[in-house]
Amino acid sequence: MVKRDTFIGFLYLLPIIAIILFLTLYPIGYAVYISFTNFNLYHFFRYELVGLQNYITIIKSGALGSIFLQTIIWTVGSLVPMMAAGFVLALVLNQRDLVGRTVYMTFMLFPWAFPSFITILVWSGMWNYEYGIVNKIMALMGVHSIYWFNYVSTSWIALIITNLWLSFPYFTVVFSSALQGIPRELYETAYVDGASMFRRFTSITLPQMKNALSFVGISSFIFTWNNFYPIYLLTGGGPGTATEIFVVYAYQEAFSYSLYNIAAAYSIVDTIILAAFALIMLRISGIMKVIA
Amino acid sequence: MDSYRLLKYVRLAISHAVLIAFAAFAVFPIYYVIITSFSNVPTLASISIGSLIPRPSSLTLSAYYYILFKNPFFLWLKNSLIFGVSSMLIATAAAFLGAVALSRINMPGKSTLIYFIYVLTFFPFTVTVIPLYFMFAQLHLINTYYGLIIAYSGGSSIFGAYLGKIFIDTIPREFEEAAMIDGLGRFTAFARILLPMTGPVLAFVALTSFIGAYTDYVLANAFITSGKLWTLTLGMYYLAVTNRATLYNVFAAFAVLMGLPIFILFIALQKFLLRAYSLGGLKA
Repeated sequence: MVKRDTFIGFLYLLPIIAIILFLTLYPIGYAVYISFTNFNLYHFFRYELVGLQNYITIIKSGALGSIFLQTIIWTVGSLVPMMAAGFVLALVLNQRDLVGRTVYMTFMLFPWAFPSFITILVWSGMWNYEYGIVNKIMALMGVHSIYWFNYVSTSWIALIITNLWLSFPYFTVVFSSALQGIPRELYETAYVDGASMFRRFTSITLPQMKNALSFVGISSFIFTWNNFYPIYLLTGGGPGTATEIFVVYAYQEAFSYSLYNIAAAYSIVDTIILAAFALIMLRISGIMKVIA
Repeated sequence: MDSYRLLKYVRLAISHAVLIAFAAFAVFPIYYVIITSFSNVPTLASISIGSLIPRPSSLTLSAYYYILFKNPFFLWLKNSLIFGVSSMLIATAAAFLGAVALSRINMPGKSTLIYFIYVLTFFPFTVTVIPLYFMFAQLHLINTYYGLIIAYSGGSSIFGAYLGKIFIDTIPREFEEAAMIDGLGRFTAFARILLPMTGPVLAFVALTSFIGAYTDYVLANAFITSGKLWTLTLGMYYLAVTNRATLYNVFAAFAVLMGLPIFILFIALQKFLLRAYSLGGLKA
């Protein structure tokens, strides 16, 4: 019976397994292989294994350190304001005596509901020096126009504000539903016992939200680390290479310079670093068992 | 008691202020692009604060006319819909079957598979996109509908199978067992009983896979060189980035035409979608 079940279960899983094998696993193996060859524009038809040479090139180029640092700035710099905004908004929206909660929630969903490929390009126009609306609004407040993408610091500000706009609705929604999952009796008992609002927050809300916060935080860390479009479409990694992150850099190495071997090696390095971070965070938060 | 009431009003006033500020931040870019799409902007530099509150006399459909009739908009739309709908159907079917197997059928290695699926999310798309291009080139699938449909069909099916498993776990087995006692085969029982009950998750998988294909730029850019197969995203990238002479109101009209249907669908289905998201994010 178990054998027959295994066979039937396998049939049901066949499409997913085919997708994983053909569209994910085989390409990953292929990419690992390419990262050990000299497959690029100059050796397009006849390439050979070169051992660790691509990895050595990457380490020696000096770009690795700064791209790593920039990927950290991008990920942590985006994640902190996004999660903070989402958590605060969820707390605010969770007050029962607040009028108009559903209306506010619907407005909050706007950035999420519009495809991000489009809205990133809209933002790109909004940051523009000559005709961008951001500079026009700043002019009203007496601030001089800024070439946002000509300076490193303003590039990061523009990127992180855009990413905050793109992502805070997700965090608001997920944290709201986690807050609603906390049993009301806990608060009522604490209230009767005379616990202050602050005390109720630190002794009930935070511990009850711990799993949700860590799971969402880790998943979003992984997602943001490899989030391609905001940087590719807004700064293209510029000025110079000051806002390059691993994915954008790898993509450009492959599709602008046809250095497939270097692009593959960067992608593998990206994955290894991310996996190490993720495992540490999963271990510390004890969330690993929750996944399965 | 009075100080208590005062505190309550202060709390509510601050709450409304925070919410209004964020709602304005959330809505503004969407409002801005819709307003721009209806304005007459001879030169880009002339867009001003004043144009944010349009006078009826200054509204025009010229940007829409330009985008619909001076560009191959309908060809791009047709291609985007072909890719989006096909990959949506494949991804949703694969996700449903996978979810049923993971939840209902006893077999070894299930939890290993789930960990494995999670680890796959660590890989950036740049790992797969280059090999996929060369694989598909060898199979002569570049510049064909089939090639891109297959490449997209993974879509959100892997995550969808995982989400569907969590959802089906909450449905009591007695439902299908009763149907099987009534003489239905197992597959029919799954299809008749579990399929409708899994609706919210499947709607989520369907919409996210459709949007994934509909708004993809990277794969389309790699797999398509023939103008006949261009999609809306390639057209939009061309108008917004490559062809710098494009007027901003024309780009805005394009953004509205391409994005508004998805936007309306998302807002209309928000209850389903938000439930699916919370399920995936908060199994904890």
